[in-house]
Amino acid sequence: MTETVLFKAALAAYLASAFVYGGSLLKRRVLTARFGAGLMLVALGIHTFYYLFRWIGEADIPSVDVYDTLSFFAWAMAASYLAMQLRTKTRVLGAFVAPVISVLMIVASIDLGGSVVGSSALKGTLVIIHVMLSVAGEALFAVASLAGIMYLIQDRLLRKKRDRSLIHLFPSLHDLDRINYICLFWGFSLLTLGILAGSFWARIAWGSHWQWDPKQVWTLLAWGFYAFLLHQRLAIGWQGRKAARWSLVVFFALLLMFVLESFLFRSAHTFM
Amino acid sequence: MKLILVGMNYKTAPVELRERLQNYCSDQDVALPDLMMNPEIKEAICLATCNRIEVIARLGDTARGEDFLKNFMCRQGNFDIKETEKYLYIYRDIDAVLHLFRVASSLDSMVMGEPQILGQIKDAYRMAVDRHATGVLLNRLTHHAFQVAKRVRSETEIAGNAVSVSYAAVELAKKIFGSLKGKSALLIGAGEMSELAARHLIRQGVGNIFIANRTIARAQQMAEEFHGVAVSFDEFPSFLPEVDIVIASTGAPGYILTAPMVAAALKKHKHKQHMLFLIDIAVPRDIEPEVGELDNVYLYNIDHLQDVVDANRAMRRGEALRAEELIAEEVAGFEKWFNSLAAVPAIVRLREKTDSIVQGELDRFSAWLGGLKEEDRAHVEWLVSSVVNKILHDPITVLKEESSEGEELPDMAAIRRLFKL
Repeated sequence: MTETVLFKAALAAYLASAFVYGGSLLKRRVLTARFGAGLMLVALGIHTFYYLFRWIGEADIPSVDVYDTLSFFAWAMAASYLAMQLRTKTRVLGAFVAPVISVLMIVASIDLGGSVVGSSALKGTLVIIHVMLSVAGEALFAVASLAGIMYLIQDRLLRKKRDRSLIHLFPSLHDLDRINYICLFWGFSLLTLGILAGSFWARIAWGSHWQWDPKQVWTLLAWGFYAFLLHQRLAIGWQGRKAARWSLVVFFALLLMFVLESFLFRSAHTFM
Repeated sequence: MKLILVGMNYKTAPVELRERLQNYCSDQDVALPDLMMNPEIKEAICLATCNRIEVIARLGDTARGEDFLKNFMCRQGNFDIKETEKYLYIYRDIDAVLHLFRVASSLDSMVMGEPQILGQIKDAYRMAVDRHATGVLLNRLTHHAFQVAKRVRSETEIAGNAVSVSYAAVELAKKIFGSLKGKSALLIGAGEMSELAARHLIRQGVGNIFIANRTIARAQQMAEEFHGVAVSFDEFPSFLPEVDIVIASTGAPGYILTAPMVAAALKKHKHKQHMLFLIDIAVPRDIEPEVGELDNVYLYNIDHLQDVVDANRAMRRGEALRAEELIAEEVAGFEKWFNSLAAVPAIVRLREKTDSIVQGELDRFSAWLGGLKEEDRAHVEWLVSSVVNKILHDPITVLKEESSEGEELPDMAAIRRLFKL
């Protein structure tokens, strides 16, 4: 009961934050965006309490069904975005992040997957570590993409000299590029660790690190794309528009894979 | 209230008059003692900036103090009083408070939202405090003015955007590069506008500045001033790969910087995705418009920047309305505090009278009290004071509340009669 109340309170605060952020875009006011950031911080706090409550109650962090995955995805996005904001002061990016988080939370609240836990093999610390690291990594990729979208909009506004109040409101290209890079770097690191944890767990549960499971193949492909993107940024010097565009392309590929895999294939990861 | 503000500013007086008076008022060691010599001036602060000279004072006698201040302003500037009076403005009581709050919040400045004025008021206040020219009223008033200015700056965006062409260019550069620390700039042409832009860039932390000019001597002169490097005019394209910002302001009849030149420079840069911000403030233009079509290149000309400035000015005007509302709120708050001061003399006398009664009674019973232990005697004294304070609490609260609302205070007269104050 308490956990439902906490979840709904977090959802309400995320929604309020999204509306306030929306207002900051419409009114072109950074001050309003600051208030939106405050609301998101409150939402994240409640959301964290929700997890602590569940952890204490169930002696576990259940995060293997759709409901939990989306909720945790939203939590990781909010946490990483707010952490990023401390360093870069790019408050208005929240106007892109908060609505996505709200949608994720609304979908999570519908409880699409219920508590479908396929087998007893899906229990254990290693599974939870695998899921949490992978989902956190993907949440960081989502924030990187949103920073990329904002970069492309700001770049266009600056080049076309359009809507000066929006130029003033949006963060600098440099800050958006930096967020994109930081999120890519940490997202890639977390996803890598998540994949490794999953592979160890697969070895224990099924006797092999690799099952040619469609989800595994897609994830490895996405990992490869991100490795390529990171390589281009670090070794070749990609930045700015090119890096923003590519981070979007790769994230949409990741999303597409996720959707296609969920609908077309049955795999060991179907519970997701 | 007996508060007065006499002054002249860029809107009311020509610069020659302001200059003469400013020279005098800037020297606070002379101006403040002169002011305070007059017995009608109880407190005073003298603010002298290039755009305004103002004296704010608490007066003893209103009419005599006001005449003295007007004469003071005219005398110090060697003006004829009849001639000069038309340039002066006088604000009394709450209007003076409103004016000071507006000045501190830079709503009355030539460039609305410019932050310097607050620092200047702080300096003037500090100098007045050092010379013991302020008291309860002006201390409270100026501190309140600082708070109002801070509130206006944090709750409105009145100082948010650039309102000069050169500053607009710098703000745009920050929208591209974030911080300008460590960035480098190339100035092509050493005119006044590029000099102004260079000053803004340096203030923002731009490191290397290369200056190219047809007259190399002028380039060298500017380079010396900005700790930059003078380059010959023909050589400037070879410096393009080195820089992040280019400001062009030559009197050349045609384009001196073309798209192929910039494209070639970008290719030579060590970072392939290097961004370049170009500001063309020359008329006719120095930079071919096609340059702006190149990847990672942002080109702005004087019209674009002027548009930015106009839009920002309009935005500031909108924010000023919000600021005026905040200030009205704060003035009302200050007025309430000030009105409550009207009750202070009566309250002080009431307290003095009761204190003397308490002390007299304690003395009268000192023989009896002497027989008590030290601790018990202290208890008796505490008890008597406590009873008196409890009795006085309600009448004093009523007096303060009623006076803060600016009412006639009929209760005060009653209290004076009842307690024979």
